[in-house]
Amino acid sequence: MIRYITPLLSIVVGIALLIGAFTLPKSTLGNPNGPMYFPALIAIILILSGLVYLFQEFKARGVKFTDFTQIRLGKSPMYLGVSLVLMIIYTILFERIGFLFSTIIFLLGLLFMLNGRKKWITNILVAVIFSVVTWYAFGTLLQVSLP
Amino acid sequence: MKKILGVAAMSFALILGACSSDNADGKDADFPKKNIEFVAPATPGGGWDATARAIQKIMKEEKIVDQSMTVVNKPGGSGEVGWQYLSKKDAHSLAIDSSLLLTNNLLGQSDLTYEDFTPIATLTTEWISVAVPNDSPYEDATALMEQLKKDPGSVKIGIAPGLGNNDHLSFVKAAKTFGVDVTKLNFLVYESGGDVMTSLLGGHVDAATMAVSESQEQHIAKKFKIVAITSDERLDEIPDVPTWKEQGVDLVFPHWRGILGPPDMTEDQIKYWNDAIGKMVESDAWKELLENNGWEDFYKDSNETKKFLEEQKGMYTELIEESGLKK
Amino acid sequence: MGTDMQVVLDGFLTAIQPGNLFWIALGGFLGTVVGMLPGLGPATAIALLIPITFGMDPTSALILMAAIYYGAMYGGSRSSILLNTPGDGSAIAATFDGYPMAQKGQAGQALAMSAIASLIGGLIAVVGFIVLAKPLANFALKFGPAEYFLLMVFTLSAIVALAKGAMVKGFISMAIGLMISTVGIDLQTGVYRFTMGSPHLSEGIDFLVVIIGIYAVGEVLYNFLTINKPVGEKKSVGKKWITKEQWKRSKWPIIRNGPIGFVIGVLPGAGGAIASMLSYSFEKQISKHPEEFGEGAVEGLAAPESSNNAAAVGAFIPMLAMGIPGSGTTAVILGAIVMLGLKPGPLLFENNPDMVWTFINSMFVGNLFLVILNIALVGLLVKILDTPPRILYPLIMMLAFIGTYTLGYSTVDFIILIIFGFVGLFMKLLKFPVAPLILAVIVGSDMEQNFRMSLISHPDIIGIATASPITIALVIMTIISLGFPFLSAWLMDRKKGKTSEESM
Repeated sequence: MIRYITPLLSIVVGIALLIGAFTLPKSTLGNPNGPMYFPALIAIILILSGLVYLFQEFKARGVKFTDFTQIRLGKSPMYLGVSLVLMIIYTILFERIGFLFSTIIFLLGLLFMLNGRKKWITNILVAVIFSVVTWYAFGTLLQVSLP
Repeated sequence: MKKILGVAAMSFALILGACSSDNADGKDADFPKKNIEFVAPATPGGGWDATARAIQKIMKEEKIVDQSMTVVNKPGGSGEVGWQYLSKKDAHSLAIDSSLLLTNNLLGQSDLTYEDFTPIATLTTEWISVAVPNDSPYEDATALMEQLKKDPGSVKIGIAPGLGNNDHLSFVKAAKTFGVDVTKLNFLVYESGGDVMTSLLGGHVDAATMAVSESQEQHIAKKFKIVAITSDERLDEIPDVPTWKEQGVDLVFPHWRGILGPPDMTEDQIKYWNDAIGKMVESDAWKELLENNGWEDFYKDSNETKKFLEEQKGMYTELIEESGLKK
Repeated sequence: MGTDMQVVLDGFLTAIQPGNLFWIALGGFLGTVVGMLPGLGPATAIALLIPITFGMDPTSALILMAAIYYGAMYGGSRSSILLNTPGDGSAIAATFDGYPMAQKGQAGQALAMSAIASLIGGLIAVVGFIVLAKPLANFALKFGPAEYFLLMVFTLSAIVALAKGAMVKGFISMAIGLMISTVGIDLQTGVYRFTMGSPHLSEGIDFLVVIIGIYAVGEVLYNFLTINKPVGEKKSVGKKWITKEQWKRSKWPIIRNGPIGFVIGVLPGAGGAIASMLSYSFEKQISKHPEEFGEGAVEGLAAPESSNNAAAVGAFIPMLAMGIPGSGTTAVILGAIVMLGLKPGPLLFENNPDMVWTFINSMFVGNLFLVILNIALVGLLVKILDTPPRILYPLIMMLAFIGTYTLGYSTVDFIILIIFGFVGLFMKLLKFPVAPLILAVIVGSDMEQNFRMSLISHPDIIGIATASPITIALVIMTIISLGFPFLSAWLMDRKKGKTSEESM
């Protein structure tokens, strides 16, 4: 059944977009429905393509579906899950505790995840050095306003 | 990777090192006590950012402000993001503002308006022009308006970068005084002033409105002609172009930029900036900046700015209602 | 303009004065560096350097900024080839065949070829600039809303058509890209669409965030899946110089696509992304062995590289000849030189011919400098591939986030970045072509606005299609590009008796 997820998702997104398009506020200037046409057209493309795709997958139902097996093997689910959590934490911390510390934490997290605990010296060195260098290059030299 | 970053960082350091490090020690005056944050509610590269960075530079080089100033970019929502940010800060932050501060609120896109801040100064203005192609059937602004009066939808008018901005509203105001049904005007909205210029040169629109600084070079080169400007007197660079006033429309419409402070500033703090900015606008560096950009001096101090904003708000409220942008 | 050879020569002599050579070298180097970093493209870099140009001589400032611009064209493809993470929109096409080449152990050759193709493309464009600036500028003016709309339709269809057997996936990919481009204020009416109440989203989703998400973050996540697999053989970097065979295959594609990129670059608003993608699909369609494209075909790298660098040079024509910025980056440059007291406009050529010609010649010199720099850097750059992936990937992640922050100064973009990182991962797993999505995000909003503006001038779709000879030509080209894969598949069918399935 897993092979039908993507085509069905495409159809669902298409329908949601269509509903979204029809509930857009009407324009008070020019053509009142102007803002609606293009999203509606995209929604129709999505739904139609989704249907064709569904049909293709149905025709190919005898062939083994292997597209997703990779993410279920070995440490992959852990890596993806931890990366997602780290990225979300980074997003939350970035403006709160500033660029430098949040970046060090983010890099440490990723490095410990991939590199293991044994190489902790390398991990800490890489995280700190690169965070500081980037912080200096962007913040001071390029005058990008970093938090 | 390490090497590359190292090389990059080193060369950056060599090149720019001289330009970056500075710090003035605090003098006996107790304001400002720390680094001053200057909010440009836009990304680097635009007019707001350029103004902020130019002010930063002049303040430092002319030693007007002892504390260091840093420019902070907070783009988004036509300035909304930056001003929201400023509203939560203390007196050590400032931001660039323009009439968008008023119109965002009037168009229902923001809860903030000038009363939620401390107006610090008005700095510059640009004037707005209406231009038509060389082979246009409309000899002057009056002819254009007469046509619009007959059939408001018959003329394609190019504007940028959005409805409800000064270029759009100044045209609406002029058209209204001629008795044109302004809700039926046919605007083609382009992403930037450059795009409007291209479409006018290519004859894809019948008329266009844009800042004088954008259009005057084309007018001088006779690529298209400007038929009206929103200033109160003719401009030196294009003395052949009449103002709206001369053509019987009582319209003076500045496109101004200014400086805004956070709410609840003390009298002393306001006075500090009145003095500092008053000094800055007298500097040669500032005058050169205005000259190069085609901006005009429009300096008003804090009190005058407050009055000016009040008056502007009344005008925009009326205009936006009549333009059909808001039901 | 009367192209007086004396002025051109004087310009050349000014351009090679030590001072100006220094600015060319500095700009070219800076451009190469920022081009390699995801998100930090030439526009951002130049904007950030504006305060430093205050007080510089306008000609030198212009030379410096232009060198950053085309330097970034060289740099952008470095990271495309080595890491599959393009630095900006115009470097995307370099990932299609450049990255597979690197995977096959031809990283050094790919880097060298890309530099050579960029050089030739750039030189073709400089010559084009000298000879054709004024007429081309006037040609560009003929492009109104209808023409732009159809040019974008044509580019999109050419990219979707690349995904032959998987065209349905191509359409879905494109539709998602277009969907993203509808977020934000609708220009024509001021209506807010799908902004979910966030003022940050009212200005739309920056396409660069989507690119960084799908390529940089998505690629890293995808590599996490295989990071623990034992490496079969150590990837060799290969030779650092191209072979005779590779040159033979690439020579005509490079020469053909220089002019294509140049002309597209002249059109205000079209730019390097459209130019390089069109060149790629054009080469694939006329190639005798299209099945090698996407698997590391050297001409599939050479063609878009020649084209995007030519486009970068072409983009200066509307700016210098008419005072109209032709791309985001030239708009920033224009703003900067205005602050220095120069008045770009139709009279610039007449009023400041020495400056204009110095500038053009500086591009000539700059391209030569950059090719030397980039070939010298090949040895150093391929070392990136020797960095252990367990250290390299976290660093790419970090650069992706910082690059994103410099685009919008808001962590709202981080959320978008994460979402598209995972979208990119799943698209790779499901073998969805990424290019249609990216291109749709880049051109989507312009395409819609131009379509709606052209509906004001023309009554209906037929009216738009027949508005001018240009639109008719574009419509025919669109039909051919969409029909061609079917036609060639049908011919193949008859030849071989079976359909060839492949994806890009």
